[in-house]
Amino acid sequence: MSSITISNLRKIYGRSAAVDGLSLEIPGATVFGLLGPNGAGKTTTFKCMLGLARPTSGEIRYDGKILTPSMFERIAYVPERSVLYDWMTVEEHVEMNRRAFASFSSARAFELLATFNVEKHKRARALSKGMRTAVMVALAFAQDAEILVLDEPTGGLDPINQRHVLSLMINEAAKGRSIIFSSHQIGQVERAAEQIAVIDRGRVVLQGLVDDLKGDRKIVEGIFPDTAYTLDGIASDARVARVDRTERIVRILVTAGADEIAARLSASGAMGVRILDLNLEDIFLYSVSPGTATADIVAKGSSS
Amino acid sequence: MNYVEWLRIRNCLRITAIILLILVALAIILRISFARYMSPDAWISHMSLDPGTKVTHAVLPDGTKRMILDSPTDNTHVVIDDYGYAGKHIVVTEPAKKAHQENDNMSVGSIKVTESTHGGMTTTVFDTNGAVPMLYYMGLADVVALIVATILAAPFAREIDGHLELALTKPVSRVRYAIGNIGVDAVGILVASVLTVVAFYLCQLLFETPRLDFSGINARAVVMGVALPLAWYALLCAATTWLRRAYGAVLGFAWPVALVVGGLAALEPNNAVALFVHDVAWVISRLDPLTYVSFASPGTHGGFSYSGSNFGARLLIVWLMFLVYGALAVWQWQRVEA
Repeated sequence: MSSITISNLRKIYGRSAAVDGLSLEIPGATVFGLLGPNGAGKTTTFKCMLGLARPTSGEIRYDGKILTPSMFERIAYVPERSVLYDWMTVEEHVEMNRRAFASFSSARAFELLATFNVEKHKRARALSKGMRTAVMVALAFAQDAEILVLDEPTGGLDPINQRHVLSLMINEAAKGRSIIFSSHQIGQVERAAEQIAVIDRGRVVLQGLVDDLKGDRKIVEGIFPDTAYTLDGIASDARVARVDRTERIVRILVTAGADEIAARLSASGAMGVRILDLNLEDIFLYSVSPGTATADIVAKGSSS
Repeated sequence: MNYVEWLRIRNCLRITAIILLILVALAIILRISFARYMSPDAWISHMSLDPGTKVTHAVLPDGTKRMILDSPTDNTHVVIDDYGYAGKHIVVTEPAKKAHQENDNMSVGSIKVTESTHGGMTTTVFDTNGAVPMLYYMGLADVVALIVATILAAPFAREIDGHLELALTKPVSRVRYAIGNIGVDAVGILVASVLTVVAFYLCQLLFETPRLDFSGINARAVVMGVALPLAWYALLCAATTWLRRAYGAVLGFAWPVALVVGGLAALEPNNAVALFVHDVAWVISRLDPLTYVSFASPGTHGGFSYSGSNFGARLLIVWLMFLVYGALAVWQWQRVEA
């Protein structure tokens, strides 16, 4: 078990706060997804977690302890962009990590590289973006770390290798490792993560178990014949968390009573009314889109 | 832990070794080309000797081949003792020329020439294969070591330029990592010096049995020759770490700037503006370790020199520069963020 506690983390660059009072509790032995739009502060949060950037204020603790260099023996990191040395071969990168980490397994690294179809004799400069990501992932997973921090670990990978990475994450979590990762591919997060946190403008706007966040909530979607329609008080219903109108289409997020809301929508003149399960993409978009009643989502989500 | 730096050094030393091997290969070609000129017989056969010149060959009990040339017409007497690879001892006695009335001594590398005039006759003694001052070897080794030091002098800036996430997530403190990097670079620079000495020793060995003189000024040359490239490396290391991504410019302009500043500091100013420029350059040049070697102190012959009465103080300053500049680089390295 390797839990991570982030308390009131702030990181200010110049005049802007990349992370602004972020607090997060990441339990051990789980796959934890960090979601957020571009510039939300995910990478900065990771950098602060790993001591690569100095927090302006706040603190990060691993099992209650402040990060020390020796703890990197059990923490592996895949950065968002390629940080490989262009002039070094893949094999030399493996050797570099073998010398740096006592727990690193070269055999495991080469096995993973073979899975990703990366040629070990190639120099990093000759690798595609996806292959570079694959090398970073292989190096991280060969370290036998307790905590894996993965910033966009599938960036540039083809769908087959993306699936390999997700399987690796799930398998390692099953062995008791903590996996913290970010991705813009919400389908991947939904597949791999047990828990998520959504960050926007440097703050956590939503956090919880994926299943809990989805809860019983549904989306009722209807199409009206024209744009001149009224919802006859549906929006003010206590079970309605959010209403989105896009010309003739209306999408209503409901915490309960989806069938009844659908019937009322039909009665209002909507055609093709359908009830959809709430997915992680909806949760994400609702939590970060401007004017969102995020508090309502969280509040109603936790009460459902 | 400092594997990447080791690889950088390996690559740099590989190139250094290739260049030095090319030099040795050129020396071999030169040696083969000059083979016919290296025996006294060959010299004689190329000389237009007076018909009256008498040439005598003899082998001394110790194996030395002696050749005596006696030219009654020119009143010249030459004795050549050939010790093979151990060198030659040549004594030429001839009538004194008007221009050379005083005694003269001169050494070039392993060749020592002594000239003396007595009673209208000049005796010139050539001794080859004399002891070669280590100063020469260290001068050459330092040129190579300073180039290698310049190439290697951005270990932290190179990490800052896109590899911090790898460098800073190793299970070792930043200070230890930094000292390790500086340590392996220092070893690499010293190895470059040793490679150069070995290469030039081999070159000399092709022509004669080298004998190196480590006494007096030569011992000082060795000590300063080790310190100088390390201090230069530390200076550039600090500069590149502080200037981060401009490290290429720092390395590229380091030599021109050092030469210009050193030159301005050495010039004798002849007007107020020149005096001001000289004074500014002089102050700046004090920060450059090359200053403490390139410009001789009073009492020396000037130029590239390891001597001088205040050698101890200058050596201490150069070593201190290595430590202080190194510490500045490490301090800045501790502050960097990805």
